[in-house]
Amino acid sequence: MRLSAHYNKTIIVIAISVLLTGAVIYYFAINYIARTQLDRDLTEEIDEVLDYVKLNHQLPRQVDFDEDVTVFTKTDLKYLPRRFFDTVYINPKGKKSEAGRAVSGLIYLKDGNYKVAITISREDTEYLVQIIAAITLLLMVCLLLILFLTNRYILKGLWRPFYDTLYAIKAFNVSDNRNLDLKPNKVDEFSELNTSVHTMSTRVKNDFQNLKQFTENASHEMLTPLAVITSKLDTLIQDETIKPELYDQINDIYAATSKLSRLNQSLLLLVKIENNLIDDVEWIDLNILISEKIKLFNDLISAKHINITEKLEPKKVWVSKHLIDILLNNLFSNAIRHNVYHGELIIKLTAEKLSFQNSGSDKLLNGETIFERFHKGNKSEGAGLGLAIVKNICSIYKWHIYYGYLNSLHAFQIVFPGDRDSL
Amino acid sequence: MKLLVIEDEQGIRENIINYFSEDGNICESCDCLHAAIDKLAVFDYDCILLDIGLPDGEGFAVLEYLQKQMKNEAVLIISARNSLDDKLKGLNVGADDYVTKPFHLAELKARVVAIYRRKTSSHNNNLIFNEISINLLGRTVHVNQTSIILTRKEYDMLLYFIANKGKVISKNALAEHLWGDEMDMHNNFDFIYTHIKNLRKKLLDANSNDYLKSIYGIGYKFMAE
Repeated sequence: MRLSAHYNKTIIVIAISVLLTGAVIYYFAINYIARTQLDRDLTEEIDEVLDYVKLNHQLPRQVDFDEDVTVFTKTDLKYLPRRFFDTVYINPKGKKSEAGRAVSGLIYLKDGNYKVAITISREDTEYLVQIIAAITLLLMVCLLLILFLTNRYILKGLWRPFYDTLYAIKAFNVSDNRNLDLKPNKVDEFSELNTSVHTMSTRVKNDFQNLKQFTENASHEMLTPLAVITSKLDTLIQDETIKPELYDQINDIYAATSKLSRLNQSLLLLVKIENNLIDDVEWIDLNILISEKIKLFNDLISAKHINITEKLEPKKVWVSKHLIDILLNNLFSNAIRHNVYHGELIIKLTAEKLSFQNSGSDKLLNGETIFERFHKGNKSEGAGLGLAIVKNICSIYKWHIYYGYLNSLHAFQIVFPGDRDSL
Repeated sequence: MKLLVIEDEQGIRENIINYFSEDGNICESCDCLHAAIDKLAVFDYDCILLDIGLPDGEGFAVLEYLQKQMKNEAVLIISARNSLDDKLKGLNVGADDYVTKPFHLAELKARVVAIYRRKTSSHNNNLIFNEISINLLGRTVHVNQTSIILTRKEYDMLLYFIANKGKVISKNALAEHLWGDEMDMHNNFDFIYTHIKNLRKKLLDANSNDYLKSIYGIGYKFMAE
């Protein structure tokens, strides 16, 4: 729910409740005032009657009181307090019944006591109250309408800078060299927001740069000793007086060194992929690239006497050449490394998916953990980063990768999303 | 060939000099940017091995200096940074090639020889080693005027061996040169043997001397004599 909607809701609820309460109070107040006015009129009338009776010692005639209806009834009551009450008023001319207000009192004459009741019409005051109520209602509707329109159009304009800033933040990318595009603003709150966002983004960028620098420096520091080891070994083997038994040791050191440097490179690559630092995308013919890779890996494949089956349909993908190379290298390495002698390797490429199926150990691997960093099989000699890298590359391009085990073949399947534009 | 090695890591510097000197090359070295510029101001070299991360600045400064002084040394960058930006920057500022640490000395030698050859003998594309003659443009090989047909891997291997003649080359280095270091060999180098065997057979069939010698367990050597 948008802020303006929240605001609208609150404002309308408050306005309606205040106005309703106000209207009720208003109604009663006006009613009270009108009634007091009527009662005052009635008091005057009854006083007139009493004065007349006192002066003339007889009851007045009806015609003396034009609009009012005065009724005298003989009563035995000795005492009757003056009392005002609502009643029905029958208009003597129109013979029509209306709401009325009456007063009753007692008149003492020689021939006995009379109860006098004077009734006047309440029609006029009722009418007044109705008009006032209608005007109030109209005002209320107008007020709500104005509030609503104000919120809708003025608030939208007022909040425009906020949405601009929000948009800029959404488009923010730490690895991007451009700064946030924030427009200057006259509203204090928004310019403060922009300043804070700007400061924060600058700090984040600096941190990111520092991290990148750190990663690079760390890799530099690790690679230089590795280079020393390699060059020392290269020099060492030039000495032909070395006993052949030592060659095994040297080979192991070579292997460990190359594994370490590969590990280092993989870690750097993972960091780069996760920070989206690789964005040299182009159209790649995946089928052609896979054919090339098959040729490249042919020596490894035939060394293990692996039977390779390929079914490649044309497929173009919009990716970084560097990353797709690594992805395929890792999938090939994986399928060959974990394969058995005289095993199978089936590669299928269609417009929807790419699958690598290979024979290997006859145990189903855990599809959940297989793509995690440093997760490796029992006999694996790799660093355990290959599939983590594959998974990360897939997730940049929004491809889905699945692992399955069917007909004693391990299968890795990459499913390309149907909509090519979403790449 | 006269070489200048600019590298701050003493171990690497000494091994490079050691490896390159035996071939009749003259090697000089320095360990910082300042000393490098001083040397370059006075002497001319055929090839410069340049480390990018030097204690007193980035090695790119050397390239800029060479460009400003219109010097024509071939430059091979040695960097611990495997970042594409650095690579492109280096090649744009006039470097001829780029290797990433860690590297094999044999790989370094092969690259230096290649860039030196490119830089100096643009009119002469024939590489001659005793009875073996290689046309670098046409990628053809003759032994005693007999043409032999080599596969791409065998051809690359032959060039690599000739550049590193007289040196023991580990299978590790050979595999990385031929298949690239992106491909994980799983330390299974059996298949190299097939290529070596074929190359040796083709050379021998054309009546060449038997230069290729297997050093048991570790690698191969291309005999220099």
